[in-house]
This record gives sequence, structure tokens and C-alpha cells, in this order.
Amino acid sequence: MNSVADSSRIPELLESTLRDIGIPPRPVILDRISAEMRKEDPNFKQLALVIGSDVGLAAGLISLANSPYFGFRGRVRSVNEALMMLGLNVTSRAIAGLVFRQTFPVTPLLIRFWDSSASIARLSGWLAQHLKNTNIRAEDAYTFGLFRDCGIAVLIKRYAEYPAILKKANEESQLPFTAVEETAYPTNHAVVGCLLAQGWWLPEEICLAIRHHHEYPPSGQQNAAARNMIAIAQVAEHLFQQHTGLCETREWEKASKFCLDQLGLDPESLFQLYESSAEIATTEE
Amino acid sequence: MKYLIYQLDPTTGFLDRNGCLHMATELIARSRETGRPLAALWLDLDRFKQINESFGYLVGDNVIALISQRLKEKLNNRAEIGRVGADEFVCLVPNLDLGQSEQMALELMRIIEPELDLGGVRIRPTASIGIALFEPDDDAFGLLERADRAKIAAKKQGGNRFVVSGTEPVPGRLGIMLVREELEVEHQLHTALENGGLQLHYQPIIAMNGEIQAVEALMRCTAKGESISPAKFIPVAEKTGLIVRLGEWSLLQGARHARHMSDAGMPTKTAINVSRSQLVDPKFSQALNAALICANVSPALIELELTESLFMDISDTVQNNLRAARELGICLAIDDFGTGYSCLANLKDIPATKLKLDRAFVTVLPHDRRAMAVVKAMAQLGKELGMTVVAEGAETQAQVDALIEAGVDCIQGYFYAKPMDDIRLLSWFKERNQS
Repeated sequence: MNSVADSSRIPELLESTLRDIGIPPRPVILDRISAEMRKEDPNFKQLALVIGSDVGLAAGLISLANSPYFGFRGRVRSVNEALMMLGLNVTSRAIAGLVFRQTFPVTPLLIRFWDSSASIARLSGWLAQHLKNTNIRAEDAYTFGLFRDCGIAVLIKRYAEYPAILKKANEESQLPFTAVEETAYPTNHAVVGCLLAQGWWLPEEICLAIRHHHEYPPSGQQNAAARNMIAIAQVAEHLFQQHTGLCETREWEKASKFCLDQLGLDPESLFQLYESSAEIATTEE
Repeated sequence: MKYLIYQLDPTTGFLDRNGCLHMATELIARSRETGRPLAALWLDLDRFKQINESFGYLVGDNVIALISQRLKEKLNNRAEIGRVGADEFVCLVPNLDLGQSEQMALELMRIIEPELDLGGVRIRPTASIGIALFEPDDDAFGLLERADRAKIAAKKQGGNRFVVSGTEPVPGRLGIMLVREELEVEHQLHTALENGGLQLHYQPIIAMNGEIQAVEALMRCTAKGESISPAKFIPVAEKTGLIVRLGEWSLLQGARHARHMSDAGMPTKTAINVSRSQLVDPKFSQALNAALICANVSPALIELELTESLFMDISDTVQNNLRAARELGICLAIDDFGTGYSCLANLKDIPATKLKLDRAFVTVLPHDRRAMAVVKAMAQLGKELGMTVVAEGAETQAQVDALIEAGVDCIQGYFYAKPMDDIRLLSWFKERNQS
């Protein structure tokens, strides 16, 4: 067995391993935020310094705090203010999303993918606040929107031909999306995404929702929170497509009945949502 | 104190619903004054609806009359009794603490259980009973409501039993019914899952030639700085379905660990425990593949340890999942072999390559000659089947010597190394390689 390594190189080797794997373990910065959140009196200044040391994160966080979904547009100028405004919970989730995105290569396909994920996440957060009786916290709906399809990014990175399968799955009007993926791979993006979300310490309801988000109705545990999140994000995606004209999927045809029933919406109230969501849907982050 | 005149139920002569509420109010006031306890026992006859439907309402009324007669005679003014529904009674009993209330619930069950003859058909009546003890915040309605809820819980558990208010199951966070202690553990588990409270520790498995054959990944769970023992969290995780999350988290972390070791120039198999709940899911293989894809690791560096409870029933789904894992090139190990449900017959059904003898055989070595004979026989059997035989739980030199004599292939235990986190494992490897 070839287990003899030059011991002095271990830290260096580990370092490069973390880079090579590409799918990152949860970043240290999130652990520092969690640690701060557990304290009775969190030190926001210290956290702002940590986050501010990464320009990309700082910018992402400030622009999130300024998005109309949070209703304080244009007023936040610093990481410290963003932290105060968003609270540690949302900050922690938003940073998770931003860091996750940073670990993937910048390709046109992925840029489009991240942008629509971000819009759907914002719209989901807005819907959770806007709709009655969903009992979903806006931050959870937001996080779910952000991570719902993170498995797709992993599969794009791992398999060169995945984009073609993705296209096929998007065009499929009968079979579930994941069933099309399974014709080519031994797994699907919902399962991959669920495992990643577990590794990033997301709440169980969000992990379950990620796993079952292409099932209408979702199988497995009859978890009301997971079902509501799935329906909210699917409606958010539909609103996004309505506003941007980017409608490359047939998912709404398969999902609409379940979503409207689950959220107690009728065509009239959906139509009203088209109007009231316009600003949130078309804002660039 | 003098009782007011309350309205009575004509069939039984007990207090009616309103009377019962008034009586409860009066007794609560007295309890407040004296500081003495007060118990409410809500009794609901099991299957009364079926009796009414099968034998008619007249017979049903007759049953109620007979049972209330028994209650009246046997309780003999020890309780204020009310009839609060067609087949439901409430006993209000002053000066009764929890232990005495439970005794009384048992007594009530005995009072009503003698057979009744319903025109030639004999039935044995049973009841579901809910107990609530007066608490300072209670008013009459609150006290009775708690007793009623406990009674509903007793009914849901199959009837013919009593449940004390506060211990009845309520839906947990994921909608699964849990009792109070389980709710607490469920909460701790969720806290651990959302705050990075899970960790894998690794214990080396040493081959006879001194090589490290594999490391077994063992889960540690902490919430708010406190470690939670597996004996506590595993049953709750199984009940709530969180066991699947724990298992999948281990799969991904274990696979990542295998990749780290390999990239650090120390390719070593990582053995990951998989639970029965994971393997009975037809989609287990999707999760396994997802973990391999995310970690980008060679399946040859992964081993799955199959827990003993799997062998209660090896279904086609389990077989298919195990076959799929083997086809990927993953090794399978049978854990805790030789005790519980694992038996020789399983060896032909499971495509395993490794047999891990239960620590129970090892801890009694070297003095127990019979155990020694069993270990020898199992080592021989493993060899014949082309399997690697591992002994777990070796703590002393004498045990290791005995295991070598018995012919096992590998040894795992404190004698060589305790389970360690990944950082300490790396330095352990380093020191070992230097020496």
C-alpha cells in the first residue's frame, strides 16, 4: 500500500485538495457567523470586518440588502449596515449562496443560471411574505430558491455533456425533469443538491424540499413546510419567466395544479401576482 | 363546604357536562385554597360506536347503564363522576397525586373490564383514559381539556391504556408524533444539523502485516457544546426520518475524507456506516452516486458497513442497492457479525467482502476458550468465503495475540488507536509512517 507521504507536504497537499475538489465544504466564514449567532451579544463589527475582507462577498451582501425585496432600496452603503438590516440569519444564508457561486467557473451558461436562481430566490422570499398562511419564513423561502437547483451547477461542472441533457429535461412535457436526467446519469440534480445542502448545514425542511422539488406532489415525508416551499419557488420561477420572457422550460405545465392548490391560489390571484411582483422580478442584483 | 345542586344525566345519575364543569370549578377553588392536588381522569369506552352500530342504541344505552352502575358501586363516593359524552366519563378526584392517579386509572380499567352479556354475545369492555393533574394556571375548562387530549392520545395508541397529560405524543418539527423527551432530542438534533454539530471521527483498521487496511468513520453529534450519545439520538432519528439525513451526511463527508486522504498521498479506504432506513429506499443508489460525484472520489476508496439490523429482512430492494454498490466497485462489510440478527445464512445472500466480528467475542479473550473457538471458526469460514475477517474492540496485547492466533486478518480497537478527528488522524498516519 502506497501510504508513505512526505509529511512536511501534508498541509500543502490538503490545501490543494480543497481547491481541486471544487465542491467546497462549508466555508470557514459561515462557521464564524454561526459562532457569533450563538452568542448572546453578537459582535457585528468583527463580523463586518471578516466579510469585508472578501470584496465579492461584501458587494453581494450590500446589493442584496438594497434589493426591493427587503424594502430598503439604496440606503445600505456598508457591510455593517447590511448586517444590521438583514440580520445574521439571512446574512449567513446569503453568504452561503454567494460563496457557493464563487466556487464555480464563470461560463455564460452558469452566469445565466446563477442570475435566475438569485431572482427566483428573491421572488420566493417576497412570496413567502406576501401570501397568507404559507407559514414559511421569508429567509427560508429565499434560501430554498437559492439552493434549489445547486445540483445542476455540480453536474454541469462534472459532466461535459450535461447541458444537452438539461435542455432535453427542460423541453420534456410529460416525464418528470429528474427522470430525464436519470436516463443519462446514475443520479439527478435534486439528490445531488440535497446532499450538498446537508453538507452546508441547511435546515432539514429545506433539504427535503430540494430533494423532492420536481415531484408534484412531493413524495416521501408529508412535510407541509417542504411542500409549501416547493410550491412558492415554482410560482416564483413562473413569475420570473412571465416578466423576463425567458421561458425555456415546461415545468409550469406539470407543476401549476399542485402549486396553485398548495398555496390556495386561483387564476385571478395569480394574475394579480404578475402585476405586484414586477419590480422584484426585474431588478438586477 | 356545601355543594350546589347540579344538573344530572338521566341515564346514569352522574353529573352532566355542565354540572361537571361547575364541579371542576368548585374543586379547583378548593385546591387553590388548600394547596392539595386534584386529578381529572377522562374515560372513554373503546369501540362503543361499533357496539351501537352492531347491536342498536338500546343495547348501547344498556351498556352505559351497566358500566356506570359498576363505577358507582366500586368508586363509592371517592370521586365526583360526570358523563360528558355518549360513552365518556370524567372522574374528578381531590387529594390525588400522580402516582395515585395512575393507580386509579388502572383500577378504573379493572372495574369496567368484566364481560358483559349483550343478548348472547359477550364482550369485554375496555377504555382509554387521560389523566390531568391540576396546575396553577388551569381553570376548569383547561384542566378537562388536558385530560381529554391525553385520552385522545391513549386512544391513538390503540386504546385499553391510560396516558398522563404532558406525556402524550405531539407532532414534532417534521410532523412525526413524539413524546416529550423525544421532542427535546429532536430539537437537539436539528440544532446540531443546522450548526455544524455533526463530525466524523476515524478509527484505523490494522492488517496483520502492519498496514492500515481502512479507517472506519464514526459519527459524533453535539448541540450547544453538549455531546449527544447515539443511544439517545439514533432512536429519535429513526422515528423522525432524520436517520436518512445523518446517513447521507456521513456518505458525503466520508467520501470527501477518502478523497482528502488520497490527495494527501495516503490513499486509504474509508468505511462508512449505512443504516437500514437508507438501504430500504429504492433510491439509495442515487444518493450514493451523488456523494461520489460531489466528492469526486474513486469508489474503490469507499467501503460501506452494513449494520446488523439490516438482516431482519433482506428485501429485493436491499439486494438491488447492495448489488449496485458492488457494481460501482464499492466494498461491503458486514458489521457486528455473530450477534443479533446476523447469521450464517446472510453470508450467501450479501455480496460482502469483509466480515467484522462483534466486539463481544473479543472482550472475553484470551481466557474464554469457547469464544476463542468461535473466533477461530469464523476466521476460517471467512477465509473459505474469500472475505477479510476483522476483529473489533481489541484493547490489550493479550487480546491481539489471541486474535492473531485465531487467524483473523485485521484488528480494530483502542489497542492500536482510538477514533480521531481528521486532523489528528493525519498526524497519526504521519507518526506511524516515520516510525
